[in-house]
Amino acid sequence: MKFNSWYISSFLISFIVLIPIITVFTSFFENTSNYYEILKNTFLIEYISNSFILLISVLFFTFLIGTGTAYLVSFYKFPGSEFFKWALILSFAVPPYIYAYSLTAFFENYGTAFTILKNLFGDGNYNKNIPKFDGMFGAILSISFSLYAYVYILARASFLYQSQNLIDLGKNLGFSKFKSFCKIILPAARPAIVAGLSLVAMETLAEFGAVDFFSINTLTTGIYNSWITFDDLAFANRVSFFLLLFIFSLFILENLSRRKAKYHFNSKGGFKQKEKIKIYGSEAYLAFIFCFLIFFISFLFPLSQMLYWTLKFPENLFDLPIINLVLNTLYLVILSSFVLIIFSLISNYGNRVSSNKTLNVLSTLSISGYAIPGVILAIAFITFIAWFDNSIIKSLGFNSIKKIFIGSILGLVLVYFVRFYSLAFNGIKSGYEKINISVDESAYLLGYSKRKTFMNIHIPFLRNSLLFIVILISLEIIRELPITLILRPFNFETFATTAYISASEDLLEAAAVPSLFLILIASLFIIITSKYILRENNE
Amino acid sequence: MSNNFFEIKNVDFKIGNKVKVKNVSFSIENEGDIICLLGPSGIGKTTILRTIAGLEKINKGSIQLKGKIISSEKNNVEPENRNVSLAFQENSLFPHYTVKKNIILGTERNKGLKDKKISFDELIDLLNIYQILDKYPHEISAGEAQRAALARSLITQPDLLLLDEPLSNVDQSFKEEIQEKLKKILKNSKITTIIVTHDSYEAFYLGSKCGIILDQELKQFDDPYNVYHLPNSIEVVNFLNRGILIPAEVTSPKSLENKDLGTITGNFVKPFPIGSNVKLLIQPEDLHHDDKSNLKFEVIDRKFRGTNFIYTLKTPTNTLIPVFVHSHHIHQHEVDEKFGVKRPIHIDHIVCF
Repeated sequence: MKFNSWYISSFLISFIVLIPIITVFTSFFENTSNYYEILKNTFLIEYISNSFILLISVLFFTFLIGTGTAYLVSFYKFPGSEFFKWALILSFAVPPYIYAYSLTAFFENYGTAFTILKNLFGDGNYNKNIPKFDGMFGAILSISFSLYAYVYILARASFLYQSQNLIDLGKNLGFSKFKSFCKIILPAARPAIVAGLSLVAMETLAEFGAVDFFSINTLTTGIYNSWITFDDLAFANRVSFFLLLFIFSLFILENLSRRKAKYHFNSKGGFKQKEKIKIYGSEAYLAFIFCFLIFFISFLFPLSQMLYWTLKFPENLFDLPIINLVLNTLYLVILSSFVLIIFSLISNYGNRVSSNKTLNVLSTLSISGYAIPGVILAIAFITFIAWFDNSIIKSLGFNSIKKIFIGSILGLVLVYFVRFYSLAFNGIKSGYEKINISVDESAYLLGYSKRKTFMNIHIPFLRNSLLFIVILISLEIIRELPITLILRPFNFETFATTAYISASEDLLEAAAVPSLFLILIASLFIIITSKYILRENNE
Repeated sequence: MSNNFFEIKNVDFKIGNKVKVKNVSFSIENEGDIICLLGPSGIGKTTILRTIAGLEKINKGSIQLKGKIISSEKNNVEPENRNVSLAFQENSLFPHYTVKKNIILGTERNKGLKDKKISFDELIDLLNIYQILDKYPHEISAGEAQRAALARSLITQPDLLLLDEPLSNVDQSFKEEIQEKLKKILKNSKITTIIVTHDSYEAFYLGSKCGIILDQELKQFDDPYNVYHLPNSIEVVNFLNRGILIPAEVTSPKSLENKDLGTITGNFVKPFPIGSNVKLLIQPEDLHHDDKSNLKFEVIDRKFRGTNFIYTLKTPTNTLIPVFVHSHHIHQHEVDEKFGVKRPIHIDHIVCF
């Protein structure tokens, strides 16, 4: 066992991230109010079954959309393929709750679809012919089209690193394109796809905005209601505990199913750059249609709807303190990304150089923060700070520290840190998996210390991974709602909180303006960074 | 403290808790000597190199370099602080740097060194890697990556250079040329080197001493001639696979008798009592071809090796004996033909077990 400064730093980081999670677990054993008994006998089964249906359906759709589009743009050249490879990430800019507003606004009775039909064909009873995407199906669509980019980005990165040799091997064995995809390409990208789906699963289980908007009773809404309505935090934590178990079971199942199979290998210098296959005729047409439809439905459609509302109700635009909201959002994004990247790098490197099982287990547990709904994390954080303040700080005779952590930027960034730590940690970890351990050893043998190896070898190599992670973190923070709502300082608003407040006051049209800005800022961010990443990959 | 440049004393080499090679002791007397370790795959050769480099620890024995203990149960100098360079068998180039940058990084180790024995240009020329200097590791072949990694290790001018199968991925046509150049540069720059290989020809050419690792032990550590001609165990004979053991009876201090070959004379490397039954090592060079000889055996196989043929002969007792014949020999013998073996048979050094 190697107890060095890297080990200790890594241990401390993982432990700090675990504190709110431990709080959730310990709350499991606390007494709950009568609400638990009422719920257990009434809606609990419905909550669980709804959550399960939602999860499975979203995983199915995001897998199909994410892997399908990633495969097409990574392996084939067709009209628009260069455009789609970055444009398909833009769906990240639309949070599920904004997608839900758009879906409803378009398809509802006398909504935008009705207006279009009326303008095209004159007056008529179109409402009965316009499909209604609400309820469970609406929630599934909103979440799937908003989150598939997780699978798309990770699958595509994995496809890009697949050697031409693999593809040639498939041809040599006489496989069709479809068989090659199923037997070679897909299994080789499995860790990346599973990583993407895990993120989707956690986001789906933590999703509140869209589910609440469509009045679907899930475990998350149950948690929220038990806190808001019955002020029963213990029960909320108890449900969160079940959610965590559910997530862990998924991880364990996936790990068991892999057994000792290895899905990637380190090239011994024999890596052969893949050549994209140019497709023509109906194949090219179908590939274009598929990618365009996904791009249109996931991004252009909600953007157009929000733009339409903004133009229709321009007064909402002038009432919005745009510069203030932009600065607030950027401030949170930059600060949180910086903290997350630095600590996740240290923690990953500590794990790598220490090769310690305890640390490994601790790190694995610490990334579970992502599975805990933002509401619960925020409340667990408040509970912990209150306990720490009352039991330790005050007993030592110091002034209360509540104000430092609650309703402050520091507290907000800390909870973001716990919530999004898995994004940063896992992203860096998968980058590290591409660095053979002999690279580290070569550096040591060239006289590099561990610190110098970290700074001069790892950081430059991980640059692209870090950029990917910064995109993911930034988008999460720009879109994040419950934690910001609960822990933000007084009068500190973001586009997300402004949109939510308007929507909760039944002013959906007013919610369109901050939603539109949220989409545009996030899109700009995605475009700049994705261009950079594509250039780095020599594409 | 011994005066040897490098010394390993009673070390168990292990990975994790698994001992790979037990109780190893050997030394390199002079700076600039090259030694080779030979053994089958997975036997622990690489573990030995990793341990010498400081990447694995030991809890028995000691490793000493230039009079200082670098590894022992109590003392372990970190890899970055022992001036030992290891070129890995697999591609260990930094993937995000060009080949040129990778090699230049190697110069940082001994920046302050006044006596630069190897220049960058010399190495590039030696290893013929001009064309790949501006390429990234993923853009080059395995053999090129291996040569680039070798260049990076050489340019560090370490006290001790460790090469793990350094030419295993290099094309055969290019291998001998590189071996020659490598030997020359190592000798000229006086870099003490330990090379791990499974290619006995490479080991015999490059090493002034060779170690044979078999069955978790260093079976023999000697100069190449002795390892080949005077193997100290049946295991070494079997590993080198360049001869066979035939039954014989010691008939005098200078002769043996075999049912098929008759009397064999020579000098015993190790004395055996008269009358004892032994296994006699017959190497392809020990028997000579003679068309006029009345000692004839059936040819059952013929291997063309460029400079020579190796005939496999079948004796009346069904023993298969290899015989070396120069490839310019006036005529060749086909399979099933009779092949004459010159008598009397005299072997300079008789190896028996």
